[in-house]
Amino acid sequence: MSTNRRDFLSRSGMGMGSVALSWLLQRENSHARPFPGEKESFNLTPKEPFGRPKAKAMISMFMQGGPSHIDLMDPKPLLDKYAGKIFPGKIKYDNAAQASSTVLACPWKYSRCGESGMEISELLPHLQTIADDITIIRSMTTGVNNHGQSIFALNTGRVTPGNPALGAWLSYGLGNETDELPSFIVLKDPRGLPVIGVQNWSNGWLPSLYQGTVVRSQEPRIANLDAPTHLKGEPQRRYLSYLDQLNRQHLNQHPGELELEARISSYELAAKMQTAAKEALDISSESKATKQLYGIDDPATEEFGTRCLIARRLVERGVRFVQLFTKNQYWDHHGSIRKRLPESCKYIDQPAAALVQDLKGRGLLDSTLVHWGGEMGRLPVIQNDTGPDKVGRDHNTYGFSMWLAGGGVRGGYVHGATDEWGHHAVIDKVTQHDYHATLLHLFGLGDGKLNFKRNGLPVGLIPPTDSGEVIKAILKG
Amino acid sequence: MSPYRLLSPGFPALFLVALLPDFMPRASSAENKPPVSKITYEQHIRPILKANCFQCHGEGEKLKGNLDLRLRRFMVKGGETGAAIVPGNLKKSLLHKQLIEGEMPPEDKHLKPAEIALIGKWIAAGAPTLRDEPDTISGFVITEEERNFWSLRPVQSPRLPKVKHPDRVETAIDTFLLKKLEKAGHTFNPVAAKGILIRRITYDLTGLPPSLEEIDNFLADNAPGSYERLVDRLLASEHFGERWTRHWLDVAGYSDSEGYTTSDTVRNWSWKYRDYIVQAFNNNMPFDQFIREQLAGDEMVKPPYKDLTTEQQSKLAATGFLRMAPDGTGSGPDDQNIARNQVVADTLQIVSTSLLGTTMLCAQCHNHRYDPISQKDYYQMRAIFEPALDWKHWKSPASRRISLYTDQNKADAAKVEKKAKTMDAERLKLQTKYVNEVVEIEIAKLPKDIQDAARVARNTEEKKRTEAQKLLLKDNPRIKKASGGSLYLYNRKHADEIKKLAADIATVRATKPPENYIRALWEQPGGKLPATHLFNRGDHEQPKEILHPSGLAVLGEWGAGEIADNNPDLPTSGRRLAYARKITNGKHPLLPRVLVNRFWSHLFGKGIVTTLGDFGALGTEPSHPELLDWMAADFTDNDWDFKHTLKQMLMSSAYRQSSDRKADLNEIDPDNKLIGRMAIRRLDAESIRDSVLVMSKKFNDELYGKPVPVMEDGVGQIIVGKENKDGEGKPGKTVGLNGQEYRRSLYIQARRSRPLAVLQSFDRPDMTETNCTERTSSTVAPQSLMLMNSQFITDFSGHIAKRLQRDHAKNLPAQIDLAWRLIYGRPPSDTEASDARSFLENQQRVLPPKPVAQKPIKGQPSPLALDAATLSLATFCQALLSSNEFLYVN
Repeated sequence: MSTNRRDFLSRSGMGMGSVALSWLLQRENSHARPFPGEKESFNLTPKEPFGRPKAKAMISMFMQGGPSHIDLMDPKPLLDKYAGKIFPGKIKYDNAAQASSTVLACPWKYSRCGESGMEISELLPHLQTIADDITIIRSMTTGVNNHGQSIFALNTGRVTPGNPALGAWLSYGLGNETDELPSFIVLKDPRGLPVIGVQNWSNGWLPSLYQGTVVRSQEPRIANLDAPTHLKGEPQRRYLSYLDQLNRQHLNQHPGELELEARISSYELAAKMQTAAKEALDISSESKATKQLYGIDDPATEEFGTRCLIARRLVERGVRFVQLFTKNQYWDHHGSIRKRLPESCKYIDQPAAALVQDLKGRGLLDSTLVHWGGEMGRLPVIQNDTGPDKVGRDHNTYGFSMWLAGGGVRGGYVHGATDEWGHHAVIDKVTQHDYHATLLHLFGLGDGKLNFKRNGLPVGLIPPTDSGEVIKAILKG
Repeated sequence: MSPYRLLSPGFPALFLVALLPDFMPRASSAENKPPVSKITYEQHIRPILKANCFQCHGEGEKLKGNLDLRLRRFMVKGGETGAAIVPGNLKKSLLHKQLIEGEMPPEDKHLKPAEIALIGKWIAAGAPTLRDEPDTISGFVITEEERNFWSLRPVQSPRLPKVKHPDRVETAIDTFLLKKLEKAGHTFNPVAAKGILIRRITYDLTGLPPSLEEIDNFLADNAPGSYERLVDRLLASEHFGERWTRHWLDVAGYSDSEGYTTSDTVRNWSWKYRDYIVQAFNNNMPFDQFIREQLAGDEMVKPPYKDLTTEQQSKLAATGFLRMAPDGTGSGPDDQNIARNQVVADTLQIVSTSLLGTTMLCAQCHNHRYDPISQKDYYQMRAIFEPALDWKHWKSPASRRISLYTDQNKADAAKVEKKAKTMDAERLKLQTKYVNEVVEIEIAKLPKDIQDAARVARNTEEKKRTEAQKLLLKDNPRIKKASGGSLYLYNRKHADEIKKLAADIATVRATKPPENYIRALWEQPGGKLPATHLFNRGDHEQPKEILHPSGLAVLGEWGAGEIADNNPDLPTSGRRLAYARKITNGKHPLLPRVLVNRFWSHLFGKGIVTTLGDFGALGTEPSHPELLDWMAADFTDNDWDFKHTLKQMLMSSAYRQSSDRKADLNEIDPDNKLIGRMAIRRLDAESIRDSVLVMSKKFNDELYGKPVPVMEDGVGQIIVGKENKDGEGKPGKTVGLNGQEYRRSLYIQARRSRPLAVLQSFDRPDMTETNCTERTSSTVAPQSLMLMNSQFITDFSGHIAKRLQRDHAKNLPAQIDLAWRLIYGRPPSDTEASDARSFLENQQRVLPPKPVAQKPIKGQPSPLALDAATLSLATFCQALLSSNEFLYVN
């Protein structure tokens, strides 16, 4: 745990009921597997990782729809030469009906940024300023060329529904650093759910304890967090204390029933969440400068900026995993890319960069892994060739980009490369499994050690039939 | 595009293998450490090699390195690089060397050290086999060990063991349990107190709390046989069928929507299958018949499916079982063929996990790694269902309903329509007359010289009017616009008369017999039978050899065996009917065991085999194998009498004992494998919601029928209610449901994408995965927040408080007493009563004396506004409802 977060927790009085605490302590090291077929007990108390962790928490900004890597962070000068000409190679289209093989050059300029001189498009001016804090992976692939499957691949390690999401895995593996907030929190876009909806934060076949808690982008941000008006304050305190009394008397008659004790603790968390979650989600105490940093003073960036700021606040308070989604197909620029891509970039650029800067300024970046990316990139050729304003790009999961920052990842580094067209990853190809292996490694959960028994079999984030390599090159020295 | 392109052609192999990581099945577990001399190939070594190596070295399409590991002598003979083993000489055994060095299996897969050590010991001991190896083997081999796996052997009828304390034997079940307990030096707990017992059994059999009267009667009944009378009364309750239907719906994967795509289209008429089950259980339909009808009810009814009797309707509704899988084929999936084959695979998954306790899914792409189920088995099984689930001649979801309109209904409806039309013509005639009168009134107001022109203009069809006529009418809009709708401005009586006529016509039309459907599965009679191919790697675009319908090969004569392609005596292929008859003939090893184990788990909290949906090598072994067999045999011997078998369990001392943990027994058996106490179990989601409704006296105990709709409220929670969204998609005015909102959870619409918030938080499965063979029981903070703050709980706590006040006006002690008995099923102790009283008095002091109106959540009914006395009582009830004593049954 970083000094800051530990300090924060001690400042905020990480106190919990003594009975709850003793129960929690008793449940420590509960990774031991019970006898086959026995029901396990699960909890969110902090767990020791297996290895030495770099990252303690993760914030993932999921750009659903597939940002055009070619136009944002993977420059391809060859496209300028071939602009308007026929693409000489073979293209894997998703939508053959609208396909054309005319090359679409990137309409935007790239600059060399930071000490490393990595190239980032003018559409992301704020990202340009934090180039030295990020690793861009330019060789991502999932190879499943549609949104649902590719999201599943990146978020759950498998291309089918019903599997646990990253946040569920990390919560299962490491528990939570705070007892006042859920371990896995999702900040959803007010404009709608991403593709595959609530399955994005499913616990899959992990116990439901690990499922993501959705925070909405308008009040009330968490369901049932507000006591009804007539119960607020003293009446509810009395109700909870009476309830606790009833539960403890009942427990006295049923000694040894861990589940009954667990429920007593869950009321304690819930009661704390009422204020802690409220407090964590309320940004009014943040300084004007901080709000400006995130673009909260600008209507164009206010919404995403607020969510990024909340994400920082949650991680600061010990939440293990926070994931932000953009609305349904926000980056799916099959048409009008010249107009829509700049809009999408504007929406997220400043807040995303601010998040990294802010975490860094608070000493939290080293222990917080930040991810930005979508489920795919886009093709170098035109889709919807019906006029310069209308053209777009089709799906490309054979080579695309995303960036990572903090949590033990190098800054100012570009990893891997696509071919000269930006279609296929050709150098240091990174699959979703490699990405996940790296994540687990950073959290000290690597080497196939984090498993859950399913139908009697130990199963991990990386399916046993696939293998993921830790991307050593992106690790900080 | 649809986001749910779940499968790509290359996908299944990848996914299914993913379910089978390197894992050592128990049979080979080195933890069992057999004495060195007793390690044999068949018992200990083969299962390890089968799980890890056979795919390339024996059972695959090609033999890698020309090395076959399926027999000892093949291993001695070796492959391209020489002998794999040299018996008695570990150093010269290449197999062992490669395992040790991690060369094999390739890539990242490694055997566990204990497994390698076991193989080493076996080689060193001369690599013994249990018996002579067969002269020839081809393809998929099933060994004797595999055939003799406990769940695949015929059910035995074990003799009842002798016990030391026969006084604790109430039913035969107890002898098996006592035998083991006594061996460990223990016995059952004493019988639970009567109050605990009635609460336990009433929830278990009806899913509802016992009424006060029922509790009082039971407590007062001290005559012998009082418990048995209680059991019989509850088994006869119509709520029994409802409760146990919910259990069955879980394994069948019941849903009121199609799933698969984000549109999650509503599945109308799915509920006919639900009602079929309620009826079957309440009538105690023999379970073999129940299974047969679900698998082949359509083949028992002679087509065409017209003018159906009640019994025929019931048989067709039963096939809804095979229509439960998520199904995107009607919702514009990306790839129709993938979507269709997925439905077939999911249906097979539902059948095999619910009835056979077998997960066959992986055999879709390759031979099962642990269970003796080949890929061929999988497609032979698929062939049984293919004529009705023919992916090349697919029946779209919308066309799977059978109209219950009889010819008589049609004739009646036509007659009604004819009458309505006649009435409508008369109404129109009269209306025209009245409107013309209005027109004349208006014309009379015009200057005489244009009256005729106006009349002509009005009577001219709009399109044919001249410019002058148009102008004239534009200047006189009342003439232009005079109509039935404006009649009331001139003559209220005429307007009312017309309105009444219209209403009469509507009333007449409403007498048509209502449209009514059954959602079912059936074969196209006389249709061409589709060929079932083995799909290479599970890919429907790579069809291989044609296979014929058959049950699992490993079960041999005990299983379903080969099934004729076509039964010439039936208009359909008869495959499912033949299969259904065979698996219910009482000899099938799996079906009765799987069923009684499931029943048991619903009463005891877990099964005798704890993996309810997997009786294979990866499942758990039964804790009491003889008991399981005795119950399975007793079940089939008694003509699959469901209630008889439940009664055997319910009458046992095991079920009746208390749940207290005894220190000494707890020491040796903390997980209660010996069943020396009753388990403490949390109420399931439905029981929690339904109890609250009952206690508030709002409960609507109507049986059967269309599901009550669910909707999203203004804060994005799914609640019971009728969607009424405005133009912006936000919830509009709340639409009343006339008491339907108080119906049992069983009857609330179960839409995969819209799980009812109160149920979802307590682990009700939403069926986004195929089906649910075993519910989880979680303990999480959102449940607590739900019980602390949701409008559902605060409103119903208020309703209960009002009930307490109605029943015992101005009598606080009586109100406390009643609340306790309603929610906990027992009166409070003196201390509890006085604690409650001081809570109430203090609470009342801090509450606002006058009702506080709360801001309603859009879509939700207005929250109750209560005065301080009622409100404090409500928070008191809420505390009881949030507490463990209510949430758990002991």
